[in-house]
Amino acid sequence: MSALSLAFGAPAVLFGLLALPVIWWLLRLTPPRPKAEIFPPLRILARVLKKEETPSKSPWWLTALRLLIAALIVVALAQPVMNPRNAQVDNAGPMVLLMDNGWLTAQDWNQRVAVANTMINDAEAAEVPVAIVFSAENNHNASPDTAASARERLNAVSPRPINSDHKGAVEAILSAMGDTPIGTLAILSDGLHDANADGAWQDLLALAPADVRLFESNDRNVVALVSASNAANGFSVSAQRLDTSSAMTTKIAANDSQGRPLAQGELQFEAGSSDGTALLSVPFELRNDFANISIDQTANAGARFLLDESARRRRVGLLSAEPLDLSQPLLSPLYYLTRALEPFADIIVPEEANLSDAIEELMAQRPSVLVMADIGTVPQDAEDDLLEWIESGGLLLRFAGPRLASGSRDDPFVPVELRRGERALGGALSWSEPQSLAAFSDHGAFAGMARPDDVTVNRQILAEPSPDLAAKTWASLADGTPLVTSSPVGQGRIVLFHVTAEATWSNLPISGHFVEMLRRAVLLSKTTAGQQSAGDDTILPPYRLLSANGTITLPSGAAQPLKVAAGTVPTISYDNPPGLYGTESGFVALNVMQPAQTLTKFELPAFPGTPVRSSYIGDESRDLEPYLLTAALLLLLIDSIIVAVMAGAFSRLITRTSRSMAAGLAALMFIAMGLVAMDSPAHAADEKPGDSDILASLDRTHLAYVLTGDRRTDRTSALGLDGLTRFLSYRTSLEPGEPVGVDLETDPLSLYPMLYWPISADAEPPSTEAISRVDTFMKNGGTVLFDTRDALAGLNATGVVSPQTTRLRNILAELDIPALEPVPSNHVLTKAFYILDAFPGRYRGSPLWVEAAQDTDTIDDRPARAGDGVSSIIITGNDLAGAWAIDDNGIAVYPTVPPDPVQREHAFRSGVNIMMYMLTGNYKADQVHVPALLERLGQ
Amino acid sequence: MAALGQATQAVATGSALARARQRAAHIPDLLVEAHRVANTVIAGWHGRRKRGIGENFWQFRPYVDGESLSRIDWRRSARDDNTYIRDREWEAAHTVWLWADTSASMLFQSSLAPVSKQSRAMVILLALAEILSRSGERIASPGVLDPIATRNASERLATAIDLQKSQMHFPDVAQIGRHSDLVLISDFLDPAEAVIEKLAPIAKRGIRGHVLEICDPVEEAFPYRGRTQFIDPESGSKITAGRAETLHDDYRRTYLARRESISENLRRLGWNFITHHTDQPASTALVALHTHLSGVPGGGIRTVTA
Repeated sequence: MSALSLAFGAPAVLFGLLALPVIWWLLRLTPPRPKAEIFPPLRILARVLKKEETPSKSPWWLTALRLLIAALIVVALAQPVMNPRNAQVDNAGPMVLLMDNGWLTAQDWNQRVAVANTMINDAEAAEVPVAIVFSAENNHNASPDTAASARERLNAVSPRPINSDHKGAVEAILSAMGDTPIGTLAILSDGLHDANADGAWQDLLALAPADVRLFESNDRNVVALVSASNAANGFSVSAQRLDTSSAMTTKIAANDSQGRPLAQGELQFEAGSSDGTALLSVPFELRNDFANISIDQTANAGARFLLDESARRRRVGLLSAEPLDLSQPLLSPLYYLTRALEPFADIIVPEEANLSDAIEELMAQRPSVLVMADIGTVPQDAEDDLLEWIESGGLLLRFAGPRLASGSRDDPFVPVELRRGERALGGALSWSEPQSLAAFSDHGAFAGMARPDDVTVNRQILAEPSPDLAAKTWASLADGTPLVTSSPVGQGRIVLFHVTAEATWSNLPISGHFVEMLRRAVLLSKTTAGQQSAGDDTILPPYRLLSANGTITLPSGAAQPLKVAAGTVPTISYDNPPGLYGTESGFVALNVMQPAQTLTKFELPAFPGTPVRSSYIGDESRDLEPYLLTAALLLLLIDSIIVAVMAGAFSRLITRTSRSMAAGLAALMFIAMGLVAMDSPAHAADEKPGDSDILASLDRTHLAYVLTGDRRTDRTSALGLDGLTRFLSYRTSLEPGEPVGVDLETDPLSLYPMLYWPISADAEPPSTEAISRVDTFMKNGGTVLFDTRDALAGLNATGVVSPQTTRLRNILAELDIPALEPVPSNHVLTKAFYILDAFPGRYRGSPLWVEAAQDTDTIDDRPARAGDGVSSIIITGNDLAGAWAIDDNGIAVYPTVPPDPVQREHAFRSGVNIMMYMLTGNYKADQVHVPALLERLGQ
Repeated sequence: MAALGQATQAVATGSALARARQRAAHIPDLLVEAHRVANTVIAGWHGRRKRGIGENFWQFRPYVDGESLSRIDWRRSARDDNTYIRDREWEAAHTVWLWADTSASMLFQSSLAPVSKQSRAMVILLALAEILSRSGERIASPGVLDPIATRNASERLATAIDLQKSQMHFPDVAQIGRHSDLVLISDFLDPAEAVIEKLAPIAKRGIRGHVLEICDPVEEAFPYRGRTQFIDPESGSKITAGRAETLHDDYRRTYLARRESISENLRRLGWNFITHHTDQPASTALVALHTHLSGVPGGGIRTVTA
């Protein structure tokens, strides 16, 4: 049975393929039918149509497509079947199914069950009993039974995350079958070899089963993770694989306890080698969060490696003779050690001040590393505990100091023999200079680190020379004296820094190398140090279990507590599936693969006869007819669409679509252009009627007057403002443009600083909208100069109200006007340009009304009232425009009343002051202080 | 997708007549402003009952000195002592010959047009007959109807066309006399040279011609796309175009060039040429024809009185 075996139910139909050339010939002759159109001007068209454009046959690919359709239909009618099952079960005896359900079967379990089901069906058809035995179960039951019960057992079983026990299974078969001949022996192997089972296999095959079938997975990428450990430069992972034929790379990921991937790496297998390694180079801080390593895209228990605390952060106990002085932390060695160790270690500091009690307290917390900074002598009663701890794997890290220098010679906790006293380099009475470091020793923990250039040592403790001193030295000074020495004690180790842990003897503690050196030294320690005391068994309850498909689950009732005997490595079994054993605070990981375990390919021992091998994948026979017919139908649809397109069925649709698309594109472009052109003021789309007028009046200040609709009044206003404009240009630096008449109803008001509004009783009263526009103008900083021109008639005490005043009152009733007052003598209007005490126009006598100042209480204190905010309204009755009005020859149009040239001059000056006041605001109010300021400056 | 064009049944002249009357109602009485009709103010219609140039005898009158001797009727003069001159009736009565193409190509109607070309041609023809007969002109149709001058000439013409079954491609114009007006309504899809070759001899004989080309909008716009087989309704020959849209520009150029050529040549012959699309109302063509028949294009339209 090959992987691509094909059989036909009705092979005779295949002769229909012979008809393909005929179909081809027919297809050539029938082009797609054109659309018939009656067309009277055919002769004209015939002249245009030079040659016969129409193909006499359809394009070759269309023909090929149709031939393909025909061929597909013919083949489909022949009822092809893929992977036809033709093996019959031997009915010489019961069929024996040995089905592996170890960890490797989890991934393709369904296919395996399907194969087993097929076999059971075949046995049922051949009417032979079935003995089914599962290799990874606790007790193997191989007694032959009916197919139905075998099927029941098959459905009840599931893959287990343990190794298959072939020996037990085969022996169960042997004992169950006894003398009964075996008809068919079907082995549904997981591909792994059980070395214990060789003898049992030979016994089984010696029974000479009539038919031996071996089902094997053809998955060539069987990989199991074997070990993972924390290395100096990363997290190293090693793995085993089954098939060693070619080099392979597999992606692995490190996950945290929540299953989130923290790091990714690649497992490299070389060709011919079953060992693969990977290095996850991730920061040390991150490595502590690794909970397991998994192979991507692989779901079995071997592809997930659980990590326990052996890969976790070290617990470091700190001991110092002097307590951490919080007021002067920089002088305390613990300060430097804490800062250096914090990133990668859990630091524990004893509560007890007494050194002996402190050591006892720390030992109880089972640290991986004990750091002693300048402790001269370890108390006698703590010595034994400490030594035992070191010998069981603890790492003692000592730093020198004055106390150690004066300590006893027979200190057991030093790696090398020390010379009493210290050596000072570069002191005032010394010729020597502070020493820098030599390159790190190649064999120590610091191997590979760069030599620190910036570290100098002023003072150190010297070691007695001895033959093995160099071997024990990890780092030395430039003159060869050791700086860091180390020696193993039992399973543990003692490391001594010959300088202090604070920056008094050297600047090493404030160097970045200090952190790296400590980190490397701490990495040497074992986390489980002292956890399991030698000599007694520990029983750990299951905490988390690994299922066969590689997921981490809560423990089920079937899992038993793990007995860990001293000095042995626990192995997985039916009772102890892989998982984490212990409690949340501390657990041991039990993985599928043990260190140094390898994967071996399953092979049957040699026996007379050959096994029939087959794979699991694609074993099901499959009727191809519906697929072929569906394909033919789809191709037929495609053909129809092609023909329809060729006949122009969609042309109108396409044209419409393209037209609408073109329109959409054009619209988009238009919008884009609009966006681009938004900035340019000259864009046609933005232009509004009257823009040119606005632009013309923007470059200069223009005086503006309100067009009342009364021709005479408007003309007077125009002439008057023209006269004032000329006067302003002549006398001041303000050079206004032409006066502008403004229609309150329509024209924009915001362009003008001042609006001269002569009140005319004859004119149409302004509309409500116009009044509200004036109100807005005033609120936004504009000033309106109302001129009632009735000084002779109104605004006096007689109570006679002129019609102009009535009109003004009507207008003002709708405006939001603050309190008004006649211009006081110290108002800035009186000083804005000329010093004035009155503001006459053609008439004199009418006061100039402005907004009342708010700060009336300080009225006498200041020479001028600071009109912060120009009065938005000025009212006069003196007919200013009449006085300003001059014709083209510069001759006054109206006489003043009384006829006094000085009054006209004062009228102009009033206008100048009003304009200056409007344009400069309180600037002039400040100017009045200038004499006082100059006087104060002493000039 | 349905075909754009279809061949229609020839329209019955009865219904065409009804529509023609409708159209004709919009057109003012057609007074053929022939410059040869000099005296139109004489009582009666057209005042043609007087001596003048003509073929029919009108009267004998005594010879007056100065008249051409050749006009003396010697046979009558020989009967007494006077010399007589034979006056002929002034044949100013205009005969307007109307002819519409009824060939198969005229039966074409596209989906863009409300009626077939033949239907439109018949309507215009009969409307013209109605208008002309209303104003007392003599109506005739070459090969179909001899000149008649009756009020119901359009009915007579309709009946004659109905009875005349054979479809002549081009009329026999031998019987048309000089100074007549000839109105030809057809689609003129023949090559321009062939059309001119037929019309030029007629024009040379002094017949004033008014040629109305009727075309279907499809024939001009050529909106065909995709693989299309074109069938000539007359000859039945077929042409298949693989992608009809590629022919659009070339076809239109040729088609319009033919029209331009015919138009130009006819103008040179002194004839009028009008193009009418069947998607436009028939009145437009009728007004145009009326204008030309009235003499001065653009100046002949009178105020509508009816």
